[in-house]
Parts: sequence; C-alpha cells; structure tokens
Amino acid sequence: MEELRTAPPPPDADALSVDEELPSRPMVINIGPSHPAMHGVVRIMAELDGEVIRKADTEIGFLHRGFEKAAENSTWIQVLPYADRLNYVSALMNDVGYVMAIEKLMGITDTERSKYMRVIACEIHRIADHMTCVGAMGLELGAFSAFLFAMEAREILYDRVMELTGARVTTSWTRVGGTANDLPAGWLEKLQKTLVRVAELREELDKLLTKNRIFVDRTRGVGVISADEALDRGFTGPCLRASGYDYDVRKVWPYLVYDRFDFVVPLGTKGDTFDRYLVRVEEMRQSERIILQAIEQIPDGPFIVDDWRVALPPKPAVYGSIEGVMAHFKLVMEGLKVPPGDAYSYTEAANGELGWYLVSNGSGKPYRCHVRAPGFPILGALERLVVGRMLADLVPIFDSINMIGGEVEQ
Amino acid sequence: MEPSTTPSPTPPPPPGMVNVLVDGKPAVVKAGVNLVEAAKVAGVHIPFFCYHSCLSIAGQCRLCLVETADAPGRLIPACHARVREGLHIVTNTAAVRDARRAVMEFHLVNHPVDCAICDQAGECKLQDYYQAYDWQPSRIATHKLSKPKRKIFGPLVVYDGERCILCTRCVRFMKEIALEPQLAMVGRGDHSEIETTPGGQLDSAYSLNTADICPVGALLSRDFRFTTRVWYLDNVRSVCPGCANGCNMSAEHRGGIAYRLLPRRNEEVNAVWMCDEGRLTYHRTNDKRVRHARIGRPGTGPELPPDAETAAKKAWEALAPVAPLSDFEVAISAQLSTEEMFAAAAFTRDVLKMRRVYATGRASGKGDDFLVREDRNPNSTGLALVAETFGLQVEPFSALLEGIARGAARHLLMFGGDVPDEASAAPALAGLSTFVLLAANESPVTEAATVLLPLSTYLEQSGTFVNYYGRLQPFREAFAPRWESLPAWARTSGLCAAAGAAWRFASAADAYSLLAAKVPALAGTTLADLPETGIVLPGRAPARFAARAPRPAGMGS
Repeated sequence: MEELRTAPPPPDADALSVDEELPSRPMVINIGPSHPAMHGVVRIMAELDGEVIRKADTEIGFLHRGFEKAAENSTWIQVLPYADRLNYVSALMNDVGYVMAIEKLMGITDTERSKYMRVIACEIHRIADHMTCVGAMGLELGAFSAFLFAMEAREILYDRVMELTGARVTTSWTRVGGTANDLPAGWLEKLQKTLVRVAELREELDKLLTKNRIFVDRTRGVGVISADEALDRGFTGPCLRASGYDYDVRKVWPYLVYDRFDFVVPLGTKGDTFDRYLVRVEEMRQSERIILQAIEQIPDGPFIVDDWRVALPPKPAVYGSIEGVMAHFKLVMEGLKVPPGDAYSYTEAANGELGWYLVSNGSGKPYRCHVRAPGFPILGALERLVVGRMLADLVPIFDSINMIGGEVEQ
Repeated sequence: MEPSTTPSPTPPPPPGMVNVLVDGKPAVVKAGVNLVEAAKVAGVHIPFFCYHSCLSIAGQCRLCLVETADAPGRLIPACHARVREGLHIVTNTAAVRDARRAVMEFHLVNHPVDCAICDQAGECKLQDYYQAYDWQPSRIATHKLSKPKRKIFGPLVVYDGERCILCTRCVRFMKEIALEPQLAMVGRGDHSEIETTPGGQLDSAYSLNTADICPVGALLSRDFRFTTRVWYLDNVRSVCPGCANGCNMSAEHRGGIAYRLLPRRNEEVNAVWMCDEGRLTYHRTNDKRVRHARIGRPGTGPELPPDAETAAKKAWEALAPVAPLSDFEVAISAQLSTEEMFAAAAFTRDVLKMRRVYATGRASGKGDDFLVREDRNPNSTGLALVAETFGLQVEPFSALLEGIARGAARHLLMFGGDVPDEASAAPALAGLSTFVLLAANESPVTEAATVLLPLSTYLEQSGTFVNYYGRLQPFREAFAPRWESLPAWARTSGLCAAAGAAWRFASAADAYSLLAAKVPALAGTTLADLPETGIVLPGRAPARFAARAPRPAGMGS
C-alpha cells in the first residue's frame, strides 16, 4: 500500500478517495474462470472494498492435465505434444527447450543447421506470443484496432509456422538431435517478406498504443514491482526485465547459436504495466533482427543427426531395409534410450526462463519430468500487483503478466 | 598359466568357485561355467543368439565374441570358452564392438523387411541387438535371398526360412531335450535352412518350445500367430492346469482374453519347458463358457437375475430337501484350485454332513518320462489333501456312475463340470432328479444340470494347485471373472449363507488361510507370501519320479 501511495497517482484517484470515505462492506466478486477479459481459464476471487481490490485469490486448475505424470507414461518423444500445450501461444519454444534437456542428458548436440532452424522458429513464436499479449492488452483497454493489427501479424507468422511444421499452434516440431523436417523450399524468402509486413503492423500497433493517452494512463504506474521484489518472487523474462533487471538466458547463458547474433535486451525502469508492454514491443524488434541475421548465417547440411539410436531413420530406409525398420520400431515402440541421470535445461521462452528438469532411469520413458514454467511464479505475484488498485486495473495488470493457462498448470 | 592380470590381491575363492574380472568388475563364479554366464554374474550382458543355458554349445551365431586381457585383440566365443581363476573378460573394446557390428550386419544381409507383419516384433533379439550394437544403415545393394516363407512344420509350428538366422537352437532342443530329432539344418552356405526330417513333421509333444527359444521370428506358434501384438499383452505368474505336473508358466492376456501361455523357469518342476497340450489349455477360459446361472434343465427353467445371492438361494432351495437323503452325493473336480476344493469340502462335510465325495476331473491321457503326467488334472493331490483334512472319503467317478445306474444315487451336487468321459456320463447325469452343477464350460454335462452356476477358471482367480510331486504352487489372477462366473469358494460361500451355515470365504487368500490353519505343513503361510516356486508338502511325493522330470536336488528316483 505504501509504495502505491508514492507511485504516480492514477487518473481516477479522486474516485479512490471518495470510496474510502463512503462506508461500505467488502464484496467478494468472482472474475472468471470464463470471462471475456480473462486470458486463460483462471478464476480470481477478488474482495472489493468499494471498487478497490483488498484481496485477490487466484485459482488455477481449470486446465490441469497431469502433464508431468502423463510424461512418465510416455516415451521421451511422446512427451513432445504435451510440451506443446504448456505455453500454447509459443509452442515451438517449449519444443526446443524440451529436446535440449534430453540432449543435455544424453550428452549430444543437434546439427549446426538445426541450431539455426530452432533459433528462427523460437523467435517467430516469440514475436507471435508478444503480439498476442500486447494486442489483447490493447483490446481489453478498448483499442480494438491495435488488436486487429497484432492478430494479422500473428496470423501470417502462424502461416509460416504451418508451412514449417504442419501445424499452426501445437507444432511438435523438434526432435532429439535436430528437427522433424528441413525448411521447406523457398520458405526463408517467404519468411523475410512476412517479417516486412509484421514490422509494418508492429509499428502501427506501436503508434496506436504507446502514445495513446487512454492506454498510457491506464498502464503507467499501475502494477509496479521493483527489480528486487520481482527477483524474490521468481520473475523472469519480460516481466523481470520491465523492472530493470538485466537477465535474459539468451545473453547470460547463450544456447543454440544466440551468441552469434547482435541484439540488445530491452530493459524497463519502473516495473509497471506500461514497461512490461514496452519491453515486449522492443523484444519483437530484436527478435526480427535475430531472425534476419540467422537467415544470413544459416548453413546447409543435415537438419537432424545421423544416428539411428536417436533419430528416426529416413522413410525409404524404414520401408526398404530391415535395419531401418528395426531402428524405427525400437525408437517408436520403446523410445530412445536416455542414459540414467538428471539434467536441468533452461531457455528463454516468451514469458521467461523455461526450465526442464528431467530424470532418466535408462528406460525409454522419463522417470520424472518437471517444468519450471515462467508464468507460474509471476501469476503467484498477481495478488501483490493488484491489491490496493481498483477493479478496473486488474485487467491491464493481468494482461501484462501474460498468464497462459497451459503453462501455469503443470 | 599366466597369473591374474590384476595387481590387487584377490581372496581365494570358495571351493568349486573361481575369481574372474569382467570389464574390471570382480565376480566369483562357479568353476567351469562359460564366459556368458560369468559375465551375467558381474552384471555385464554378452549378446548371443545361439547359446542357450539348457542346450549344448553350437558357436553358430558368433555374436558373443569377446576378448580376454591375456590376448588383447584375439576374439573368442564367450559361449564356448570356460572360466579359469583370475580370467579377465573384456567386452568393451573396439575389437569387440566392431565384431558385434559386423556379425549383426551379416545376420541382417538376407533378413526380410518383416517387422510390421512378424509376430516376433517386440520380443525379437535381432531388433534388440541391432539397436544396441549395430545401428547403422544397410550397405547391401543386392537382392535378398528368397527362402520358404511359410512352411508348415507341424500342427502347431510354422517356419519362415527368410527370417531364420540358423542358430540351430530348435534343432538342438529337439535332439537333446525332446529326444525326438525331428529338425535338421540342410543345405550349405546361404542356402542353409531348417527342415523337418524327410517324410516327417514337427509333431512332438514339445514342439512349441522351438518357437519359444527361436530368437527371431522364424519359428512361430500357429495357435498364437496373428492374434495380437506382443506389446499389448500383460502377463501374470500362473501354473499350467493341463496335467498333474504343474509346469510354471506366465499367462499372457489382455482385456479378459488369454492369448498364450509361456513356460516360466522353475528348475525343480519344468526347467524352462512346457508341453504343447498344456499351452493350449487357455482356450478353455476363452471359449464355450457358462455365462449365466440357470434353474431347470435347458429350455425349462426361468432365467435367473445375475446376482450371486439369488443364484445361491435357488441352488440351496434345490439342495435342502434332497441333501439328507441317502441317494444324495457330492462330486468335486480335481481341476479346481485347492482353495475352491477347501470351500467345497467344508460345505460338504459341515453343512451337508456327507462322509464321502467322488473325485471327478478330466480323463487321463498318455504320459511321458519328462513333463507330461497321465493325470490330466492339476490338483488331484490337492483334492486328496483337502479330503483328508475334512475326513472325507474319496471315491472314483466311475463308482458314482455305477451308483446312478443302480438307482442308488438320484441327487447330485458337483463342483466343477469336468468328467472323464462326457459321452457316457452325460446321459446318466441327465437321468438324475436333482443335479446342482457348478461349471466353467458348456458341455453335454452342463446340459444335464437342473441348477447350473457359472464358475471362474484358474485365470480369473488366485489360488494354488498341488502337483503330482506334492508341490503346492501359487497362481495369480490374470483378469477378473468374466460374465456371471465366480470362483467356487465364492459360490460355496453363497451356499453356506443361504443354508445359514457359519462358513464364509471372502477371497482365495481367506480360503487358503483357513486351509493353512488345518494343514501343519502350511502353518503360518499366506497365499500372498507363498514362494513363487511353491512349497513341497512332506509325504506326498510319489514313489517314483518320471525318469527325466526336473526335481529338487536329492529327491526322487
């Protein structure tokens, strides 16, 4: 409460003071789980004093699938479609994170070309994820046009994803040692054109929102969290960087080929809703830079390692040779054999550090699989961000932390 | 002889044992075992196709080539070489890896692309070893050899020459274990294949063991072939009900259907073998089952509601007026589990106040000197044990038929629907005034019943059988009783309740505990804790063991 008093006053502070003067009883109001302004299926039980939120109990579980337990009964690769459904707005980043954890456990690495392909795929989905977040944020503050621009950008990016993986949303595209398929012919050129259009849309969206009085007034100084507290609460990703803390896994612990690209990590200063918005817009620009550099640098070569203990043999070998069909059979029926041990692998997903902790007992299935979903601790801080604010502030704050139902419910 | 290759002093081994090292891991193994077995003790797996611990050494497949530290680079077959004190077996060198890879490549040169249609897929050594030791693409550009693709070797075994890797396990099994050399390897080089002897076929009583020990999909069971894929099957430890030998086996099943019975190792009962007749007994669980309880002979009585309580009540209503009569008799089948028999005997002695029971069961058949006993019932010894426990006198089934013919027996309660000769027994049984029958399978005998209650088979319940040699062996429930069937102890428990008697049998374990309380040799044991290899009951071994029957050390003649 105290620091909210020192934050810049919201434009309707008068109403707040009037409310405090009027005698009223606390009112509990359920927002969600199915509500037009809730991004995912989540319920917030808000206790209101007038229009001011005094308590906000976040209840998740509506999308719970027992994913981690299900993983124990699936072969390593069968887990991949489940992984898609964590942050389903940017499934490719889950896919990449998951197979990198297996690769770490097995002590192998994917091919050079695959590394670039994974980077391009990740950054496409980062743009799509951020577009969804900021577009929806605009929408819920009344800026419907901004939402339409964002959705067009996401849509044409999803078209490229569909050409690449065969699926728009749940991609299941990566494989241990590489990817499921090579880039389609002419795809990179198409992607470049798409990025030009996405950049136009992004700049339009930027113009529509960033200097929009209504948008700024509703977001600046709202939902402030300091860097120290954000760290304490386990924030990572754009929400942490909006508070000014410089931590991006791509820079700090470079993986794949991120150390070969020139890009900057945007930082906020105040840690409010507006900063979280600005950081995402800037990250989209940086992702575009990364993709363009990757397109320049991507080498020719195999898209997956040539080791039949790890990667499925090519189909002609499966249908035409006993060696191929046996390798295929063993990999599909029993799963690839991951040596006993455990590994924690972490990548920078759209919402922050996506961690995979995997334990293998040497069989074809994970013995234990745990996900550190970046959205989970951030959602846990929602009450901290909204208490003391008015009910109307809940929606932009909730938008800015970009809760994704599939991710927070492991 | 070179001294040990390890500098560290090893303690002298116990008598009859030797110290060896396998990839640096120490192990103490029996003197004279081969390197495969020695490595197994140390936890190192040496791959092989042709080696089998119960068969002679052939050295056919060359997959078990290893090195010893004495002669680096010199490969020796681990199945053939024997241990000596201080030997250091090395299996992880480049030479061994290359040899395995080369051998696997040779084995696969002519192997057809059959996994998708091959029953062995999922339990095939070629698949396992390819993935573990070879994992390289084919380098063969020529056509694969054509060989006989589906050659009927005998009533139960079919041969696929293209899949065969010529390990000769089947040939050696027929020669050394079945003692019926019906198979041989014919032809030379690439054209070698397995063949039955001229004019003969693979019709031994043990022919399906060749399909078991075939490491690939060359010899397959015609009974099991194309019925399911092996990775769908669950399995449970069980005991074969085919004869009084009680071979240990695992019953493989899925969704309440049994698919096959495979021998399970018990060195004192069946080693790792099992006869063909026993393997086919699972059909009795799947086919021609009594599904519903029935009052009155077929077509005359009303359908009963499917609850066991009503069925028991109706059965007791039929029994109560006739049970005190002198022409009322009880028969118990030797096909039942000991627990079922115990319940039946308790009911017979304490509720019906009978002093004698007739032993029924399947007709005897031809026995041999190995695993097949003449008595085709798994639990005749168990019946004798239970009858003794209750002081019941056991009479043969033929005596009952004579009694019926004389008119001395007009009412009958029978536990188990098996009779030695259905054709002659069914008309006699059809003439009974009251015939309360608990049976698992439809037959002319069930047609004759005036009250029919469906029974579960041994695959649908846990329990024990006591075999010919007096060994009490547990078997486990594979799947829940199907249709309206229930184990005989459950049916009997219902009868006791309907009769107002005190006996209750809540489960097989419950019935077993009641039995164990009455049999000194079983005192303190429970069904759940019985050793998987069984308990030998004192004083029940026969005077003579079958000549080649596996047996406990120092037992039988």
